[in-house]
Amino acid sequence: MGLLLWITFLPLLGAGVILCLPRERAEWEGRIALGVSLLVAGLGLGLFFFGFDAGSAAFQHRVSVPWLRLPGASEAVHFSLGVDGLTLLLVTLTTFLMPIVLYSSTGHIRKRVRAFLVWMLVMETGMLGVFLATDLFLFYCFWEVSLIPLYFILGIWGGERRLYATIKFFLYTVAGSLLMLIAAIALVQATGTTDLALLAERAPTLAPGHQLWIFAGFAIAFAIKVPILPFHTWLADAHTEAPTSGSVVLAGVLLKLGTYGLLRFCIGLFPDAALEAAPVFLVLGGVGIVYGALLALAQSDLKRLVACSSVSHLGFVVLGLFALVPTGIEGSLLQMVNHGISTGLLFLLVGMVYERRHTRALDQFGGLASSMPVFAIAFVIAMLSSAGVPGLNGFAGEYLILLGTFEAAPWAAALGVSGVVLGAVYLLMATRRMLFGPIVHDANRGLPDLAPKEVLTLAPLLLLVVVIGVAPSLFVRPSRATVAAIDARLEAARARRGVAESAPSMEPGLDPAGSDEAEGAR
Amino acid sequence: MTTARIAVTQGAPPASDPFAHLSELGGEGTLLALAPLIALGLGVLTLLVASVTPALARARRGIVLATLAIAWLVSTRIHFVEPGDVLDGSFRADGTSALWNLIFVGSAALAWLFGEASDRSRTQSLATHRWEHDVLVLSSCAGMVLMAGSRDLILFFVGLELLSIPLYALCAFRRERSTSLESGLKYFLLGSFAAAVFLYGSALLYAGTGSLSLDELAELLRDPESTAGLPMIRWGLGLMTSALLFKVSVVPFHFWAPDVYSGSPRSVTALMATGTKAAAFAFLFTFAALLPSEGAWVLASVGLATIVVGNLGALVQRDLPRMLAYSSVAHAGILLLGVAAGVRGGPEALAEATDAGLFFLAAYLFTAAGAFGVASMLEDPDRGTLSLASLRGLAHRRPWVAGTLTLFLISLGGIPLTGGFLGKYLVFSAVYRAGFVIPAALGALLSVIALGYYLRVITAMFMEEPSANPSQLPPGDSVGEAPALVGLALCAAGVLVLGVLPGWALALLG
Repeated sequence: MGLLLWITFLPLLGAGVILCLPRERAEWEGRIALGVSLLVAGLGLGLFFFGFDAGSAAFQHRVSVPWLRLPGASEAVHFSLGVDGLTLLLVTLTTFLMPIVLYSSTGHIRKRVRAFLVWMLVMETGMLGVFLATDLFLFYCFWEVSLIPLYFILGIWGGERRLYATIKFFLYTVAGSLLMLIAAIALVQATGTTDLALLAERAPTLAPGHQLWIFAGFAIAFAIKVPILPFHTWLADAHTEAPTSGSVVLAGVLLKLGTYGLLRFCIGLFPDAALEAAPVFLVLGGVGIVYGALLALAQSDLKRLVACSSVSHLGFVVLGLFALVPTGIEGSLLQMVNHGISTGLLFLLVGMVYERRHTRALDQFGGLASSMPVFAIAFVIAMLSSAGVPGLNGFAGEYLILLGTFEAAPWAAALGVSGVVLGAVYLLMATRRMLFGPIVHDANRGLPDLAPKEVLTLAPLLLLVVVIGVAPSLFVRPSRATVAAIDARLEAARARRGVAESAPSMEPGLDPAGSDEAEGAR
Repeated sequence: MTTARIAVTQGAPPASDPFAHLSELGGEGTLLALAPLIALGLGVLTLLVASVTPALARARRGIVLATLAIAWLVSTRIHFVEPGDVLDGSFRADGTSALWNLIFVGSAALAWLFGEASDRSRTQSLATHRWEHDVLVLSSCAGMVLMAGSRDLILFFVGLELLSIPLYALCAFRRERSTSLESGLKYFLLGSFAAAVFLYGSALLYAGTGSLSLDELAELLRDPESTAGLPMIRWGLGLMTSALLFKVSVVPFHFWAPDVYSGSPRSVTALMATGTKAAAFAFLFTFAALLPSEGAWVLASVGLATIVVGNLGALVQRDLPRMLAYSSVAHAGILLLGVAAGVRGGPEALAEATDAGLFFLAAYLFTAAGAFGVASMLEDPDRGTLSLASLRGLAHRRPWVAGTLTLFLISLGGIPLTGGFLGKYLVFSAVYRAGFVIPAALGALLSVIALGYYLRVITAMFMEEPSANPSQLPPGDSVGEAPALVGLALCAAGVLVLGVLPGWALALLG
């Protein structure tokens, strides 16, 4: 019953304990942080394997306490947490990544370790809260609050141009959030509730024109977070300047908050508007895939290359979501996890090589395969997983997405496939420039190979790459019932559209200003 | 109509029963309704007597605290008992006005705490004239209570002057500093001008309607058959609104605010930014019932312009107090959107906007008072400035102070789990619900600019290295600072409680 409360708030509790430690006991900080995150990871895995009923589309393990009353809402806002098929994988991924990130940071975070650990744990609570919140208001609170830890992590432990990147990241995201806030006010006013389960029943009944405006508010906020094409410029800066652990969390989990929001709110609550807007998102997703790949192809900095590949990979997720068919959505959910794992791996590897050479410029490397064989093996696996080679995790997700997209919009699938090819190009080129060929720079000659600690950091992720690649159905199955429920709402909306088109007299008012005015006047 | 005149010509009761008013004055409801005013007045008198009584020379802090505590307690009682209209309907003490009183008393208490701590150097007039300072703070608090409760234009004017005149003196209190004198003079000249404009407006209104009672006026002006359309009345309302907008410092009447705020002693700034502003808005929310609904768009445009001007002004500041002063202008703009919503949507929308405004100002009380309080602790004691450069690396030297200032700044920026967020949410929700969709969206989006400059302060404190010259900041003085630290703790607790557990506060609003 209280399982989700423990998962969400144990990290915060750990942060509190670390803050209260006396200065002489500083060596305990790292142990406590790691211990707490391992405990949470254990709970997360337990939830995934034993605690989840894959046959149900409803929120499970629900905890709900009345919190406050908002004007315009007939029901009180509840502090309520719950997990369903959309969030199970993401929650497990988050809890799984955190101990790895914390463990990997013990070497390279040297200043103000205590503050770093506290912010990381607070961030874990924030991210888990976003996924687990089953109340719109609570979701918004977690959404905004989870920005602050990343702001500090980027700003204090980041690279050279960190202040610029930090403020850019924060202001971009907050601008989106404020649009979402207005959309949320409009939604609460129109439906009278903030409960996600009730919203899923009531929001689809709003007039399509009205839906479209609220949808737009939410969609822009999430599109900035993902980021979808015109809003992607903050991402490369943030990634480049972030410390390795910040990059891993940013790519692994924080970007997924955006795609999760698109699915849960934009598609889940406003099916009519989603059908209306799907072509726009298919175009943006498809162009994002190709554009991100071209950007990656042009980078000379390894970390920026991985960051740009994120834009491309998240384009796939957007494509799968807005195909608006179950296959595509399931593929996207899987691909969110895959992207978290493979990009997380790549960022960890980039961090490890940066520790040794203090540069990330591709032309400074070459021939690392002979000096660092273990590193080379891990790097190749990560690259292949990111490129979507069959047998590794990336393939299953991309395949499902392309299948779904082809069903809905073959032209978008064509864009996606070209992205796969380009992806293979830049990833393999980077691999070649890093690992193979003769050793040109003497500095690369005597580089020490991965230490056991580093291997231990990478091993769980590498294992997961293979497991998901071999048995993807294990990870797709839990989401099936919830995706089916969303699909049912989409089907109903399709039916409504069909009726509206065949009978022009019943065409719903699409004049947004008019319906907003009417809403306000009520 | 007679009721209004009786309040005007105090002491001239109807001939039939010359003592009718005395008996009413003794009634329990009347006594309770006026109890906060009586408590503050008695506190002022006690302070004046005690200041010349050698035996009571050490009782100053006790008297002030007891006065504020009693005023707080009786206001709480008023909230639950709701005595209603007293003094022939010219003063109202109900649940809402009691909540306003709580904000005023809280504002005076916090400002007083920060003032107590700011006598670092013994030569300052703030340190040598403590009794006078406290008398002035309590008097202006009484003025706020009178303003918020008045249902009569003359009584309101008395409250306005009771608030303003002590404030003029308080602004100029650090007379050894030229900026403080400038601030006092500026506020005095402009404030008297605004008071004159208000009086002229109310004279026009009285000439057009024959009434000074807000309730009667609201009824008269709503009646289409009445004289509501007369240009004289329009002008009167316009002039009075302008004077009120001056008091809350919105565009185009905001120019005094940054100079006065940054020149005054910091504790007085805290009082002006929270208490004075709340008192003016309390009356503005009442007064809004008189305004014609066409005025809503004007007010909303002024509100949006204020948000833009305030935020852009703050963005270019390099001095924390001035930045906070501009941010306070921007916050007034947000509240003015709420007033506009009330004007547009009619009585129900006005009630909702008032509740939202109350919550917003309660959160703003803790946030702004706390932020100015931090400034009072860190600023240059001679010049009253606190540049962003001198804040660099504060997190290393004084982590708790830096942490609380961060909390106040993110609350000002409207990040959830702080009172500032919920305040903004409620105001924007009221604006949206009154049908102002575009103003609500624009107002919310403009907050992004605000976060830009709040973040710069946090960035300086946490992410930048201390400047080369560490003597730019005075060292912490643990003994003298104790009252300010108490004040900071109260502010931080208030911000968090209103943000995390706002249920009971929202329940008080009803």
